Amino acid sequence: MTANLVGILMGGLFHAAILFLVAAGLQVVFGVQKIFNLACGSFYALGAYTGAAVVGYFTGHGGPSALFIAPLALGGLAVGLVGLVVERGLLRFVYDRDETFQLLLTFALVLMLEDLIRMTWGTAPVSTGGLYLGYGQARILGATVPVYNLIVIAASLVIALGLGWLLTRTAFGRIMRASADNREMAEALGVDMRRVYARVFTLGSMLGTLGGALVIPATAAMSEMGIELIVEAFAVVVIGGLGSMRGAFVGALVVGVLRSVAIAVYPELEMLLIYLIVIAVLLWRPRGLFGAAPA
Amino acid sequence: MRRSVVPAIGLLVAALAVAALPALAPLYYVTLMLPFMAYGVILLGLNLLFGYTGLVSFGHALFIGIGAYTGAVLTTHYGIRHMELILPIAALAAAVVAAPVGALCARYVKIYFGMLTLAFGMVFYTFLLKFYRLTGGDEGMRMLRPSLFGHDWAGLSKTAYLVGPYYYFSLAVLALATVVMWRIVRSPFGLCLRTIRDNPLKAESLGVSVPWPRWYAFMISAIYAAVGGALLAPPTGNVDPTLAYWTHSGNIVFMVLLGGFSSFFGPLLGAFVFIFLQDTVMSVFPYWRLVFGAMLAGIVLFAPGGLMGLVTRRPHGEAAGA
Amino acid sequence: MATTRREFLKTAGGAAAAGAIGLPAIARAQARPGVPSDPVKIGVLAIRAGIAAPVGAAGLRATEWWTERVNKAGGILGRPVQLVVEEESTPKDTVERYRKLILQDKVEVVIGGISTGVTLALGPVAEEMEVPWLSWDGTTQKGVEETMPNPKWAFRSVDNEVEAIVAGRLTPKYFKGIKTVAGIGNDYSYGHDCWETYQAVLKRYIPDVKFVLALFPKLGVTDFTSHIAAIQQAKPDLLMCSFWSGDATIIMKQAAAVGLFKTMKGVFTTAGGVHDSLKKEFTPEGLLLGYNTMYFDDPKGSPLLKQFVREYKAKYSEYPPYECDHAYFNIESYKAAVEKAYPAAGKWPSRAEVVKALEGIEVDSLSGKRSWRPDHVQMCNFYQGITTHKNGYDFVTINPIEVVSTKTAMKPSGAKLIEWINSWKI
Repeated sequence: MTANLVGILMGGLFHAAILFLVAAGLQVVFGVQKIFNLACGSFYALGAYTGAAVVGYFTGHGGPSALFIAPLALGGLAVGLVGLVVERGLLRFVYDRDETFQLLLTFALVLMLEDLIRMTWGTAPVSTGGLYLGYGQARILGATVPVYNLIVIAASLVIALGLGWLLTRTAFGRIMRASADNREMAEALGVDMRRVYARVFTLGSMLGTLGGALVIPATAAMSEMGIELIVEAFAVVVIGGLGSMRGAFVGALVVGVLRSVAIAVYPELEMLLIYLIVIAVLLWRPRGLFGAAPA
Repeated sequence: MRRSVVPAIGLLVAALAVAALPALAPLYYVTLMLPFMAYGVILLGLNLLFGYTGLVSFGHALFIGIGAYTGAVLTTHYGIRHMELILPIAALAAAVVAAPVGALCARYVKIYFGMLTLAFGMVFYTFLLKFYRLTGGDEGMRMLRPSLFGHDWAGLSKTAYLVGPYYYFSLAVLALATVVMWRIVRSPFGLCLRTIRDNPLKAESLGVSVPWPRWYAFMISAIYAAVGGALLAPPTGNVDPTLAYWTHSGNIVFMVLLGGFSSFFGPLLGAFVFIFLQDTVMSVFPYWRLVFGAMLAGIVLFAPGGLMGLVTRRPHGEAAGA
Repeated sequence: MATTRREFLKTAGGAAAAGAIGLPAIARAQARPGVPSDPVKIGVLAIRAGIAAPVGAAGLRATEWWTERVNKAGGILGRPVQLVVEEESTPKDTVERYRKLILQDKVEVVIGGISTGVTLALGPVAEEMEVPWLSWDGTTQKGVEETMPNPKWAFRSVDNEVEAIVAGRLTPKYFKGIKTVAGIGNDYSYGHDCWETYQAVLKRYIPDVKFVLALFPKLGVTDFTSHIAAIQQAKPDLLMCSFWSGDATIIMKQAAAVGLFKTMKGVFTTAGGVHDSLKKEFTPEGLLLGYNTMYFDDPKGSPLLKQFVREYKAKYSEYPPYECDHAYFNIESYKAAVEKAYPAAGKWPSRAEVVKALEGIEVDSLSGKRSWRPDHVQMCNFYQGITTHKNGYDFVTINPIEVVSTKTAMKPSGAKLIEWINSWKI
């Protein structure tokens, strides 16, 4: 019985770990720039495809399989720099516009990235083969858990802590929080918003691409995976509260674990349960668990 | 009043062209006018919410789905084939759902409104997909050929029916919907909406209730979406959950933006251009989503007033009806 | 002309693989008497995006391969073949593309259609437009029984449930002592129908079998760790999985990560669709694996199959899945029907004459002989077997190979599926 519970919990935690990375990317951007980036799912997909490609290149050229996680993570992070191109080339022109236009621009990005990914990698599922199993399994309270999953959960936790440290202990983090609270004031105090926005958006996209890269060994990259994920990520940030990093963390845990439990106990509910919680949260406490009050 | 003569003539010419189209244009393109007319109705309603009230719904496909499924359920399960009955029942179904949903959503604006509507839209989509014994699941449900004004036109092939009686029926519905919407936006209610959109705080201080008119606008736009959704179904002959997916909601917002949300006729223009452009590009270029994404980005960046904005040269993003 | 430019741009745009498509050239035999010399236009509906995109791509590639060969040999009755390709996406949009192919492009026949929602919508439209439609895939019970009971123009692929029927029959043969079974399938008609069918068949052979769990994750889900945990909790003797796309590979990988198939048997009815992604590292031996209607490594395969596999692998760096043969059969049978109807017609046969010639016709397809039953349903063989690592690839293949004909595994015309299963003499 415990083994089953642990198994279900670990499944939920793994899913939550990935969701957190994508949601954190969303939150960082929304918190500072007040833009809900619909293309976060597309960055996730981009990271997945690129990660698999980089790993394929690495192992194909004699890289030891045991170290595959290094090029994977690096590849995932590197492709996140596309976010910088997107921000400088596209997004920055709409900062002074209505939120609606910003949202629609990110929707345009979704469409474009979908086809760009398809043009580059085709439509067949892309994966890293059996490398996932390379790190073996661990037994936790009777349940068998792939060590890779534990690594990802740990990595996600480390990144969460890192982000927390970034936000509270570094100068940039303080600037981020100040800009999120009151942009005009921050600018009046000499903050160069352009650079902040560029960095924040890139950070957000890198978190998304990293999430995609880290998840790919355990799954496969498939056409339109980004469009599927955006809805789950959306649920996470709503429940956690728009703009809040703690919200992303808790929201990811809630969605990941609840989904896992629903599958084990009442499979028909699954995603329906998550949507209903989203609606409930939006109605009862629209700012979510940790968000700022809505405008 | 004088300045409205030229557009009025243009409108008349357009209307005549549309009415004469079945006799002039190739068969396929006449059939393509049918989704245009259905989306025309949908977008008129959506723009009431978007252009005139300032609320962007990312879940409006929910009501398109309600309209379409109403038609399917009525024709397949209840044997009701009269389109004149189906449309009002679809409108009623939409109103029934829009009342509580709108009441809940109308309290919020901007991003929260968008998110709430997206969530409701996806709940409906999931319901359509999962409860397959009721809704047909991914396979959907058939919508049988409806009868128009009592005639079932059984002697006509489906294509002849679509480019003949059904074409003119849809045109009549679109014309009626347009006239009604015109009256709505020109009414005091319409003015009220614009006031609330432009400055909710001031409106409140003037004693204008803010949530109520939004709720009415939401209801009206939902009804329009359902009527359009019901119109959309017969040419396909089948309704399915993809009609309610969030990207469908995104596409109709795209259409409104393309045509120009600041103008009354912008949405109609947007529907027309989107549908025919998509048709052309899809046949020629497999990566048409890239083209459309770029187009949307282009509109947002350079021509947020849409095509009508380019034509009438209004300042960027100026509010509708000003 | 719009169509010609479309074809040219399509070639440039990359949808067509070979330059010869739509621009027929090389050996052009004289068109036969009574046959026009302009190309015969064949409409193709292929999925380009989403989870079924690889399936659509496979079908299109096989169609293009066929077209290149046939055009090199002179075309159909001397007329070159020109493919007009449109995208299959949502039912509403696909119906519009279908109408365009017929009304605007004036194709002689439309081939394609994979997803169940789309084929269900297309059926009545095909009947209304009176142009033959040969469907690649996507046939489920509702589509068969409710919307197209007596199709005149629509030709449907094999019942999708045959995979579950064959798997259900082979399960007791290869796996002894099965008492409890869990199932996982995609949350749509195919997943549900497969499970229902598998249950009905298994119950005939193992009357007191218990079905302890049924999970239906949505198509497109990429993480099954929670589902696998639920399956482990249920402790079945056997897991039946009807995934047919990238998710089959994913669940295989995630199952291997927790050693799922060390504690239970596995039946994958349709994972042969992604066969070359089922790497030996995470796909154990001893699973029952279904390849639908074409097995690329069939030792008894014809020279045609071997050539196709060789050239497909050389061009696309993948081994061809079953959809290739659905596509090949459809277009090959069309050609054969035209050639069959020609002598009596004395000229290029009308669409109605082609339809009549299609009924009952049998051709050599990639996987062997296939035919159209008079009631417009495809007849062919299904391939399933036990996975083995003893091969020269880095993925699993099957040995032994069971070849089951639709003559015994598909319900006869007019019968209802579950009733028919329950009427078997065991």
